[in-house]
Parts: sequence; C-alpha cells; structure tokens
Amino acid sequence: MADKSKLGLEFPAYTFIVEKDKIIEFAIAVSQKECKEEINPIYYDENAAKKAGYEGIITPPTFPTSSFFWTGGGLMGTIKTLGIDLGRLLDREEEYEYFGNIYAGDVITRKMKVVDMYTKGKGKRTIDVTILETELINQRGELVIKYRSTLMEI
Amino acid sequence: MTINYNDIEIGNEMPSYTSTPITRTHLVRYAGASGDFNPLHHDQTFVKMIGMKNVIAHGMLIMGIVGEAITSWIGHKYLRKFNARFLSMTEPVDWDDAENTKDRATIIVSGKIVKKFEENGEKKFECEIIAQDALGSKKLSGFFIATLP
Repeated sequence: MADKSKLGLEFPAYTFIVEKDKIIEFAIAVSQKECKEEINPIYYDENAAKKAGYEGIITPPTFPTSSFFWTGGGLMGTIKTLGIDLGRLLDREEEYEYFGNIYAGDVITRKMKVVDMYTKGKGKRTIDVTILETELINQRGELVIKYRSTLMEI
Repeated sequence: MTINYNDIEIGNEMPSYTSTPITRTHLVRYAGASGDFNPLHHDQTFVKMIGMKNVIAHGMLIMGIVGEAITSWIGHKYLRKFNARFLSMTEPVDWDDAENTKDRATIIVSGKIVKKFEENGEKKFECEIIAQDALGSKKLSGFFIATLP
C-alpha cells in the first residue's frame, strides 16, 4: 500500500543529454518498426527536421517517459520508495503538457515529485492512487514539457 | 501537408490509424527504449505468480502508438496537451495461434474534434481520442489539444 508520508517527496533531479540514437530507438519502438530507415526522418535527419519547420531533430510526444526511471533505483527502487506493491501496480492516466520541443543534443534536467496520494473506495475494494508530476527543463532553463502520471494499486 | 485552423470543423474525424499487431518482441523493444522493465510486460513467470494469463503491453506503448497517430496527422510543434486514460489491458499476439490472437493485439486509433477556441493568442482545437483493439475493446480514451496556423 502506497506510503502516504511520501506526499511531496522530490526525487533527485537528473540531468541528461538527449542522445540521437536514444530518440531513434524510442521512435522505432512506438512506431513498431525494425530499423531507422523505416521511421519518420525528422527523428534522425537534421535536414528533414528543419524542412518540417523544427530547429533540429525532435523527439516523439511521449519520449520524456524514457527518463522516468533513471533515478531512485529504477522501477523497483521507485515503487519501493513510494511503498507501492509491484503486483498491484497499474498506470491509470498520463497527461503531457507541451511548452516547447525537446531536440537532439539538448541537456534536459528532469525533476519529479509526488503531488498527490489518496485512497479511493471503501472496505475491501479500495484503490490507492499516487500522482507524480515530472518537469523537463532544457539547458536554457525553459520548462519544455510537464507531465502527470496517475499510478494505481488495485 | 499543413492543416489550417479554418480547414477543421467540430465533428471532423482525425485520420484513423491501425497498428501492427503487437508482439512480445514489440514489448521487449519498448521496455528497452522506455526503461520500463516492469516484469508484467515480459516475464511469464511473474505474470503467472500474480494470477494473470499473459504478459500485457505497457499502457505507455499504447499511448506512444496514439502519439504516432496524432503526429502523422498534425506536426509535433502544434501539440499543446496530450491526455490518456488506460481502460483495459492489451495482450500480445501468440505466435502459435496468430490467427485467433492478432485482433486483440491490433490497436486502432480514432478521434473527433470536439472544440475550437482561442487561448493565449493561439487558435486551438481539442480532439477526443479512442484506441481500441480490432475486437472493439477500448484500451485508452483521452484527448489532445493542438494549435494550428
């Protein structure tokens, strides 16, 4: 059962470079392709991205999720910290807000904190809800993407 | 192709998008790419232990597929908000019974424009989205908000 004393907890900030090949790997995975040549060239070819109106190679809309488990001991460490039972864990809802784009080569600082924890339902049929908010801030200090993840234990 | 704000109307549908049937290989590839190594998505012994029959797809893989559907229609630079609620689990194809299991693993994304509005000097629209499998079971519902020139 989620440990409600963790409400407000901030995970260690994590700073990483948005690697070109990581973007390609992620884009291949969500488009269910086998190789780079099969994905949209805006994910690997700077000229194609510029032609499409971007400053550089961009990232798929849900790419920020790939740094979700990069601190706090990965999935196992994160859920242990939060007191969540792995066998009951479900991702219920995700909401992304875009204030800008993340480009290949950007240096992104990821900040993640616990913004809500509560129990729904009564008696035996209760569900524990944990809401995490993650911010991605680029090398110029601009908040580019913010997302909320609603995790449930059923 | 660029879509303009004046080209779209409330009630218009976004182009439908159909995924490749999801295999366990897709799940492993997504696990590596996303860093989400929850054994629920690849380890049959873990799945059995918690009383389930099969590994299931990451909710975020389904959302990623929906993201593909959206960005193959409108450009990333127009996207302002993207929401997904996960409604049911998606089991991958069983290779030894592909004919009977490919429909449960095929994701069809559809959407409909429900709102047009101006906010912070930008012309925006809201589109409701549904992802369901080829048997009609709903996997995800949500919406996105985008701006258009």
